[in-house]
Order: sequence, then C-alpha cells, then structure tokens
Amino acid sequence: MSKPILEVKNLRKNFDSFVAIDNISFSLEEGEILGFLGPNGAGKSTTIYCILGLIDPEVGEINIFGKSIKKDRSEIFKKVNYASAEFNLPWNLSLWESLLVYSRLYELSDAKIRISELLEIFEMTHLKNTPIRDLSLGLRARGNLCKALLNRPKLLLLDEPMASMDPDVVDKGINLLRQIQKEDKISILYTSHNMWEIEEVASNVIFINHGQIVASGTPLELTQKVLKLESGEPNLRDVFIHLSRAKNESK
Amino acid sequence: MNLSRISAVILRHYFLGIHQMERFFDMFISPILMIVLWGFLTKYVQGLEASTLAAFLLGGIILWAIFEKVGTDIGVNFMFDIWDRNLIPLLATPITFLEYLTGLISISLIKILFSFVAMWIMASIFYGFQITSLGFGLALFGLNLFIFASAFGIFNISLVLRFGHQMGPLTWILPFFVQPFAAVFYPVSVLPPFFQKVSYFIPISHVFEGMREVLRSGQFSAELFWTAFILNIVYLAASISFFAYILRNILKSGRLVKVI
Repeated sequence: MSKPILEVKNLRKNFDSFVAIDNISFSLEEGEILGFLGPNGAGKSTTIYCILGLIDPEVGEINIFGKSIKKDRSEIFKKVNYASAEFNLPWNLSLWESLLVYSRLYELSDAKIRISELLEIFEMTHLKNTPIRDLSLGLRARGNLCKALLNRPKLLLLDEPMASMDPDVVDKGINLLRQIQKEDKISILYTSHNMWEIEEVASNVIFINHGQIVASGTPLELTQKVLKLESGEPNLRDVFIHLSRAKNESK
Repeated sequence: MNLSRISAVILRHYFLGIHQMERFFDMFISPILMIVLWGFLTKYVQGLEASTLAAFLLGGIILWAIFEKVGTDIGVNFMFDIWDRNLIPLLATPITFLEYLTGLISISLIKILFSFVAMWIMASIFYGFQITSLGFGLALFGLNLFIFASAFGIFNISLVLRFGHQMGPLTWILPFFVQPFAAVFYPVSVLPPFFQKVSYFIPISHVFEGMREVLRSGQFSAELFWTAFILNIVYLAASISFFAYILRNILKSGRLVKVI
C-alpha cells in the first residue's frame, strides 16, 4: 500500500491551559477528499495551521508525501496549497498581478499560461486587471481558489473556502473542485460549516470537538451510526448538531 | 448642532487615543523630540557660516532619508501584508522567513536608490549642493545607514509579531526617537554629556560626524566608519537573534496566525 499523502500522528496542542488539539491522528490518501468538521473552536483551524507549519504542536508528527514538514517544508510546500475565505490576495494588486506574485512563490515555470488557464476555468478572465479590493466577497473567494490551484497541488488544505459565496457560486465551485480533483488526483482536507458542501465533496469525514476526534466515516456511515438511522441519505447537518451538543452536555 | 453627537465623536477618538500608542506619541513625544532636535540645532548654527550650514543640513537630510526610509519601509511593507490579510497565505507557501525578510529588505534598497537619485538631482539643481562631493565615502556612509536601517526594520517586525499589529505605528515612529541622538544636523559635541554617551552607541551618529568631517576638511575618517560598522554588526546580529527568538515563541504560542 502506498504511503498516505498526509499523515497526522498523535497531534497535541495547548494554548496555556486550553487544550486546542488533544492527541488526534488521521491520514489522507491520494485523491481523497476528507471533510474536517467541528463546531467553532473545536481545533480545525489549529490543526490546519499545524500542518502548514505556522503553529508548533507540543507533541505529534506531521508527514506530507512521506516527509516531515519540520525538515523539508519548502520542498514539500511546492506541491501543497491552502485557501481560506478569511484571507485575501494582496488588496491593491490586480488579480493577475496577485497570481503572478504567488506563481513566483511556487516557482512556476509556466506562470502566465497557468494563470490564464485558471482564470478561464473560474470564469474570471474579464476581471484579471481588477484590483482585489474591488472584487466582491464571492469573487475574492474564487480568486483564492485560483491561487490555491496555481501550483497544481497534490495536497490542498481548504479552510471554509466558500464561506462567503452564494449557493449558486458554491455549487459551481464544488463542481469545479470535484472535476479538477478527479483529473489531477488532488487530496483535499476540507473544512466547512455548510454540511451540504461536505456531503457533496467529501468521501470521508472526521468530526472533531474540544480537540478530539469524536466520529469518523463516510457521510452516510456517520449519519447511520450517530443518528441510529437506516437512512439511505447522508444528513451531516443533524450529525453535526447531535455531536456538538452531546459533547458539550457531557463536558 | 447636537452636543451629545459631537461628544460621541470626541469620545470615539479618546478611546482610540488610549488604545493606540501613536496617538500618545503625536500628543506628547513628537513635540518634545521636535523641540530637542531644533533646540540643539539652533544652538549649533550660531556663529556658523551660511554656506557651511546649508551643506551640513542638506547632506544631513539626504543621508537621514536613507536611514529613515529604509527603516520604515521594511516595517511598512510587512504591515501591508497584515493589513491586506495576506500574511498567512503568503507564509503557507514554500517561502522561509529568511527569504521573506530578505525580500522586504531588498525592495527597500531598490526604493531608496530611486529616492536617493531624486534627492541628489533636486539638491544639485535647486541648491547647488553636490552630495557626490562626499566622494567614495558616500557609498560607505550609505552602507552603514542601510545596515542600521535593516536592523531597525527587523526589530520593528519582531515587535509587531510579538505584540500584534497595534505595534505597527512604531514602524514609522521609532526613527524619530533616534534622530536627536543621531547628530543628523549638528555635531555630537553640542549634546549634553549623557546624550553624547547615548549617541556614541548609535552607529549612524558616526556616519553624520563622518559626513561633516568630509564636507569640512575633505578627509574621510576611517575610524568613524569602522566604529559605525562594528556597532552595526552588533545591532544586526542582535535584531536577527531577537527576531529568531520571537519567531520560535509565536510559533509555539500560536500568535503568528492571530497577527493576520
């Protein structure tokens, strides 16, 4: 069996006395989209920041492509990318200029061709000279997705990437992601508070609360296991509510 | 006119003032520093020939601009990534912190070269002052100013990383704390004895002393150059070490992702 694309082992992170991540382990196989769910403050973003090397965990190991991010970060991150609707491309630069800057950061040799290709895919070619500050929230999030695919990543970390998009744009975005993911066999760790989004994209889901993994499985398995239903349809919304409240009550 | 609504505006800025350090600086520190600077300058210019004074002032301001612009530019360029909420996506790329800092310092160097040429031409055409009369020493003065400004910029970035973006205004405020002791427009000997001791430990004070020496006698003082250079190496090493310490600290505490 081939090595997983991403391997998180026994990760633990405290902020003073607050335990943000409590000994979690999971892995992501090639071409897999893993939904990473949990209520606000559950530890999702902290886990992603640890994977990005922007927070040092107390304990644990993170390997990407079988290599440790502590030793080979720059080499590994040529084929990793990240997007979150919380962040922007450089505000005063045009979309084209911003993507050109990022293509240098990822050392792309065919930057102009790749940027044109992505702008075309995301239907943003006509906006290439528009400053980021003049784009709507939804368009900025699409710009972030263009940036996220710029280096043809093998691993994509998406932290609520479509948080500010309207349902129509989310639908288009998801279809595009699925298409690109299938073609390029990208592995994606995907967090969202929109359960429909996760049901649409994720083959597997892990649910974390108070820094611990409390459930995992396919969306359908989770629905049947957690809600004790024979349902043939996944219902992650009810799973989410059930798990969040159960954990809080037990605390 | 509604007094309650007017008082709301005043209250809003009062709260801003007690939360933001640069408001405090604007109110108290800036006027004090201005008086100190211009007071010493006034004391010095008495009895000085007008042409000598003009050369000292123009030479001083051109060299000061190298330090001030590079020092603030490094910090301001960093602040742009914070204001744009672009720092995290940027650091999520293969870039290392060392590469990021080198990039910030390099763009400041490129910008100051353009600014320098503009100042040189202006001073030459409108005031007949040739900064190139400093000869080869000009490059060495520039080198020392640039190193100190880089150390200064790295220190500013470290403060913002540690204490958050509310420290950002220090980026353009801190150089003015240095100015009275840097002997930009007057010699160190004009300062009171204690200030002279402080001044000795500021590398760029030796640069400005060296500049006046060249303008007065045509002689480049190697001693002043090396004193500034050695101090600069110490400051640069200290600011890089401080940055590395802060970086380790914020990666552990999770503060880096909160700076945004």
